[in-house]
Amino acid sequence: MCDREIVLRCLKTLAPALTVAAITIASLAANTYVQYVVSLCLVAAIVGGSLVLIVGLTRVIMLASGAVMAVGAYLSTILLQQYGMPYPASVLAAGAAGAFVGLIVGIPASRFRGHQLAMATLVFQFVIIIGLREWSSVTGGAAGLHVPPVEIFGHRFATDRDYLALIGAVTALVVAVLGVIVTGQFGKVLRAITATEVGAEAFGINVTGFRLAAFVISSMVIAGAGALLAPRVRILDPASFGFESSILMLAYPIVGGMGSIWGGILGGGILRALPELLRGGAEYQDLIYAALVILVMTFFPGGFVGALARAFAVRPAPAPTMRLSPAALARPPSVEPPPRADSAAPALEIVGLAANFGALRAVDDVSLRVDAGVIHGLIGPNGAGKTTLFNIVSGFVTPAGGTVRLFGRDVIGEPPRRRLRSGMTRTFQQVCLFAPLSCVDNVILGLGRTSIRRTLCASVEETFGSAAYRRRKEAALAALDAVGLVHRAQDSVLSLSLGDQRRLEVARAIASNPRLVLLDEPVSGVSHEEQAKILALLRRINAERAISMFVIEHNIHFIRQLCTRLSVMASGRILADGSPEIVIRDAAVRKIYFGESWQAT
Amino acid sequence: MDELPQLLLGGLKLGAIYSLAALGLVVIHKATKTVNFAHGALIMLGAYFGFFLLQLFGLPYALVYVLAPLGVGAVAIGAERILLRRLRRSDAFSGVVSTIFISVALTEMIRIGYSTELMSIRNVWPGAPWLIGNLVITPETLWVLSGALGCALAGALLFSTSRLGRAMRAMAANMRGAQLCGYSVDLVYAEAWFLGGVLAGLAGLFLAPAMGITPELANITIVPAFVAAVIGGFDSVRGALLGGILLGIVEVLSAAYLSSAGKSALTFTILLAVLLWRPEGLFPEARVRNV
Repeated sequence: MCDREIVLRCLKTLAPALTVAAITIASLAANTYVQYVVSLCLVAAIVGGSLVLIVGLTRVIMLASGAVMAVGAYLSTILLQQYGMPYPASVLAAGAAGAFVGLIVGIPASRFRGHQLAMATLVFQFVIIIGLREWSSVTGGAAGLHVPPVEIFGHRFATDRDYLALIGAVTALVVAVLGVIVTGQFGKVLRAITATEVGAEAFGINVTGFRLAAFVISSMVIAGAGALLAPRVRILDPASFGFESSILMLAYPIVGGMGSIWGGILGGGILRALPELLRGGAEYQDLIYAALVILVMTFFPGGFVGALARAFAVRPAPAPTMRLSPAALARPPSVEPPPRADSAAPALEIVGLAANFGALRAVDDVSLRVDAGVIHGLIGPNGAGKTTLFNIVSGFVTPAGGTVRLFGRDVIGEPPRRRLRSGMTRTFQQVCLFAPLSCVDNVILGLGRTSIRRTLCASVEETFGSAAYRRRKEAALAALDAVGLVHRAQDSVLSLSLGDQRRLEVARAIASNPRLVLLDEPVSGVSHEEQAKILALLRRINAERAISMFVIEHNIHFIRQLCTRLSVMASGRILADGSPEIVIRDAAVRKIYFGESWQAT
Repeated sequence: MDELPQLLLGGLKLGAIYSLAALGLVVIHKATKTVNFAHGALIMLGAYFGFFLLQLFGLPYALVYVLAPLGVGAVAIGAERILLRRLRRSDAFSGVVSTIFISVALTEMIRIGYSTELMSIRNVWPGAPWLIGNLVITPETLWVLSGALGCALAGALLFSTSRLGRAMRAMAANMRGAQLCGYSVDLVYAEAWFLGGVLAGLAGLFLAPAMGITPELANITIVPAFVAAVIGGFDSVRGALLGGILLGIVEVLSAAYLSSAGKSALTFTILLAVLLWRPEGLFPEARVRNV
């Protein structure tokens, strides 16, 4: 990766912040009214930018922005007025309070889905406003609270210009940080979760934790924005932070565009200026606002940013599906098989496993061993319990009884995301890729190490193209190369054919150099020609990277060539187990699987 | 404690209206998987349509009770056809978000026309109250109680037993499957929104004489409708009815024995408690696991 690319990416990520700074500087020369309006718009841009995290990327209907802002504004003002705290410290305290509030509102996020979470935020909104109104000894009640002028290091902020400079500087800083978070790996993980929770969980992502983190970060920033706004509006009253204000703010990322930081800040900046532009028709303001939002949602689903992007898009020529060349397949192993410390233990050992769905016994006393280093096949008629078995091994289904050991370690009861650390990954029968991300980003997330803290660090590393990011990217490109997709690295997942999507799943599964990969029907729906290539590909990966494989497949021709050992499942039980040729000739197997009668054999 | 029976009666009356409101919400959600944040606005429209027909056109109440809900149902269908159908193709999230702004737009349209006045309509059944012991029952209370409960039960029956109800439930369970069985998505969605709109319009009509008619009705009613639906499980017709009654009684009792703020706080505490400890609601419908 050359330096120019790093500089470009860095500029691209920080461009919103630079734009904010430029607008601020330009407005310093304008009249005081413009300075006042621009200040309000800048604060709205902060709110819009932070809402991109929860509304845009996490897809939560946030109806408590007004209340969270009120928490920040009131808290900083009370600290300023009654406890004489310096202004910068009071803004930070407001941010901390916002983070706490986000945690409280967001904790239910672990259990709620969709509308329930929206209602939890609605509840919070109303409770806070009632609280502000009733607790009048501290908050001034419905009459409001007077905000003293700001003083920082002896400099008293008095004019519109002073405030604009202050708000502009803070906004540029906050937008820069938000830009790094939204554009970088943190934002990508949120997108991945929204695309497929199961896929994210299978690759070590703590879905609940990330949702909560998005809530905490957003609320922290919104509360801080409230504290920044307070001295500018001079009087705080509960009505201006009511439910209506939350709805107005919800529109920021929707109208601006939900997928990028640009959308949030543009939406916030433009929508906040709208009432000022519509001063003449004050009574029609809200109607026009609502109509605008509905129109944008209907005709420009990507918001302003989406519409702009489409207008200036250069449509790339469709990339050809590159086939794995015979030369590439015959290529000698490029990496030494990684040393496997405990290769004595079997990769996977299942003893007496059982699982029920209601009255149906899907898996019935199954015992099975997958030796380290081999490719182990699993066949059986539909409904035999094969995928359920996979789901138990990868942690998505809790068995009724029995044990599952990965490399000698009992993993029952551990959440799916811990499997990656145990050296196990999987692919899915129905492709579970992170659709909004590029191929290479899919594989980078497959590398694991996606705790919230690490992901935040990775976002910074990505922006500045540090060595750690380059190593991750190289590892991902190597995995893409191994499946013959390196030329599609920057393409969107949705532009790939099904065969290529299945290969990308394999690349994502092997990127972290796991010791065992579960493959659920790797050639289902894939052309004949393509099957031969995937066969060669899997064998090569097995040999080169010393990755054991456990493969479900209905295609007998394929599986008998691929695996060295084959198990047959029927009605939840293991029917036969052994070398593929012997198992396939087994009379009971033929009867169950191919429908041949006993006499025919 | 002498006033307790009287309060319970008031709670039942309010609760019956909440049941009706929550039922409409549940019907729409169950059939179309859309949470209708514009439900409060539809309820408000019911009250205003009643006012228009009664005061401006001088229609008799019997006719108003037929026409106003049908009018609200038509508005609901219009919103579904013109806006939501288009958005449904992109994603469900946009559809839900757009109902929030549809609500704002409907409320503002009414506010622009009738901004300042608090309007009222006469009682359906004026007359001297009856006294049973200490209990005072006005004819109006009896009308609202029996009428709202009757309508809610009729709506619930319609949803649970008719062909239309079956189509809506099939659509909710598996859209593709229902389509393959010959149900039209467009038709079923339109029917669900219409039924939900009619139920909302009825709730608004029953509410109007007691609460007065203002654009604020939209925001006042959306929260209890949601809370009642959540208490019931949001997908349970029976739950919505019971949840509405329960909420009505709790609200009236807490307003009497605590305060107005106490009432709101208690409502929200109940909502949060249900969401946290029993997200499936207090009265969930039996669920069959999809294997």
